[in-house]
Amino acid sequence: MGLQVGSNPMTMDAIAVHLAATFAGDLEGVRIQEPDTVVARCAREKLKDVARRLKGDADAGYETLNWIAGVDRRTSIESVYHVYSWKTNTYIELHVELPRAKPEVDTVSDVWPAADWHEREAWDMVGIVFIGHPDPRRILLKDDFIGHPLRKDYVDLAENHPHV
Amino acid sequence: MFDEFETPEPDEAVKLALRRIDEATARGEGSDADGLAFNEVVVNMGPQHPSTHGVLRLVVTLDGELVKDVIPVIGYLHRCKEKLAERRTYFQYIPIVDRTEYVASINCEWGYVLAVEKLAGIRPTRRAEFIRVITGELMRIASHLVAVGTFTADLSPLGTAMVFYMFRDRELILDLMEELTGARMMFNYYRFGGVRYDLPDGWVEKCRDLMKRMPKLIDEYESLVDDNAIFLQRTQGKGVITQQDVVDYGITGPNARASGVAHDLRRTRPYSVYPELDFEVCTLDHGDIFDRYKVRMHEMRESVKIVEQCLDMLPKGPVQSGSLRAPYVITPPPGSCYVGQENPRGEYGTYIESDGSRYPYRLKYRDPCFCNLQLFPKLLSGNKIADAVAISGSIDLVLGGIDR
Repeated sequence: MGLQVGSNPMTMDAIAVHLAATFAGDLEGVRIQEPDTVVARCAREKLKDVARRLKGDADAGYETLNWIAGVDRRTSIESVYHVYSWKTNTYIELHVELPRAKPEVDTVSDVWPAADWHEREAWDMVGIVFIGHPDPRRILLKDDFIGHPLRKDYVDLAENHPHV
Repeated sequence: MFDEFETPEPDEAVKLALRRIDEATARGEGSDADGLAFNEVVVNMGPQHPSTHGVLRLVVTLDGELVKDVIPVIGYLHRCKEKLAERRTYFQYIPIVDRTEYVASINCEWGYVLAVEKLAGIRPTRRAEFIRVITGELMRIASHLVAVGTFTADLSPLGTAMVFYMFRDRELILDLMEELTGARMMFNYYRFGGVRYDLPDGWVEKCRDLMKRMPKLIDEYESLVDDNAIFLQRTQGKGVITQQDVVDYGITGPNARASGVAHDLRRTRPYSVYPELDFEVCTLDHGDIFDRYKVRMHEMRESVKIVEQCLDMLPKGPVQSGSLRAPYVITPPPGSCYVGQENPRGEYGTYIESDGSRYPYRLKYRDPCFCNLQLFPKLLSGNKIADAVAISGSIDLVLGGIDR
């Protein structure tokens, strides 16, 4: 009954081919990372639409968001989404590149409810703005903290901690 | 100057709770037939509340005894673990991983070491793999003892006996670990390609001895509470996690397995020597507090089985691959990898990006408790406040992992 792990087993090659065909033009650079992850890039304007379709995909529905990580690439900021497919028991890793001057991307918390806190963490640590997020507060640091510590150019000054 | 009579400005979480009450009132919810406004009160639970097992703070909106809304506030134990990784070599970072989730710290070390090994293409020796499984499963038992012990202590005075028994027996496991690693809780024991020390003389016999006693001890714990009418009343049918919640919020570990989801990374995404070992993935169907407690008891029995098998199969050989110098200087090739590992609380994932230097470029944890805690507002709302304490105890949070 109910939820099963790997109810629709597919080989990694089959998944990569399936995704490249279904999401032609939306997902770029689809490649397999052994043993169980498909890595792909996605344009930020298309992210929400891609997320919806990934979740609703009949063969390999990526239903559970595992985590989101913000990564500072020095020239740009990247938002990494790691999503789990129960049907195929595999992951997809979506990389969305954002310009450093304006690191904004649509929220996916209405697609994957788990994204709520992970997006707050990415905002807190790397300073990615998630447009349309229901509760865009800091999560690990204090409300009045200044700056985003996981940026590579972050300098820790006493002024950043007004509460201390 | 500090004025003790001055009311402090409410912080963002309390403001949010008050705003939600105002919005509900504006929608006409909650006011009774006479148009009287809410009786709702915003109560701050924690961060120093004994039932939160650490520094979790819940901003709870109460209507009488009924929980209307919960806003978890975390970060009181934030120690910048991910930032610290930027200035430390891969090797220097191992003791810091211990301190993320301190109740089952060796499993966290394992997750981190697995990720670095995958990134750098290092293979541990076979003997080291078995020692890792033994220590990992011993700490799983110790961690579940803490989880169930503190949870029963939250429930009622009957649990105080339970928590003392469980902490007494957890100490036996920690003694074994101390003899092996030199530390009681912060082990710093795993190395890239192996473990730090081989098993000391007589350790295998001591471990076997304890594993022989353990099933009887677990029976004893169960006999304390399983037939207790009050315990059953307070746990059965309360705080149900549905399978949809598991999918939506990424619930993992015993909390997911209590809802009938056979998701256990030791089986679904096997690592180390788990494919060679014979054990069951324990699942139950109701997803309530009682099943979550029961799954943990089952898992302790399975862990005992695993440890016994490993002690029987333990091969001879070195516990460290390559030269002893090897683990200290590691420069993985540029790239990234994610490894999930079955921690006592769920999927403990480590995502590492390397730029080819001696330091990780980006290190990110996927902590199971962080994901499980996210379900709290949904799970606690609509319950009585006393049940809310029982439910939060049954989820088994460790704040060190959540706050990192």
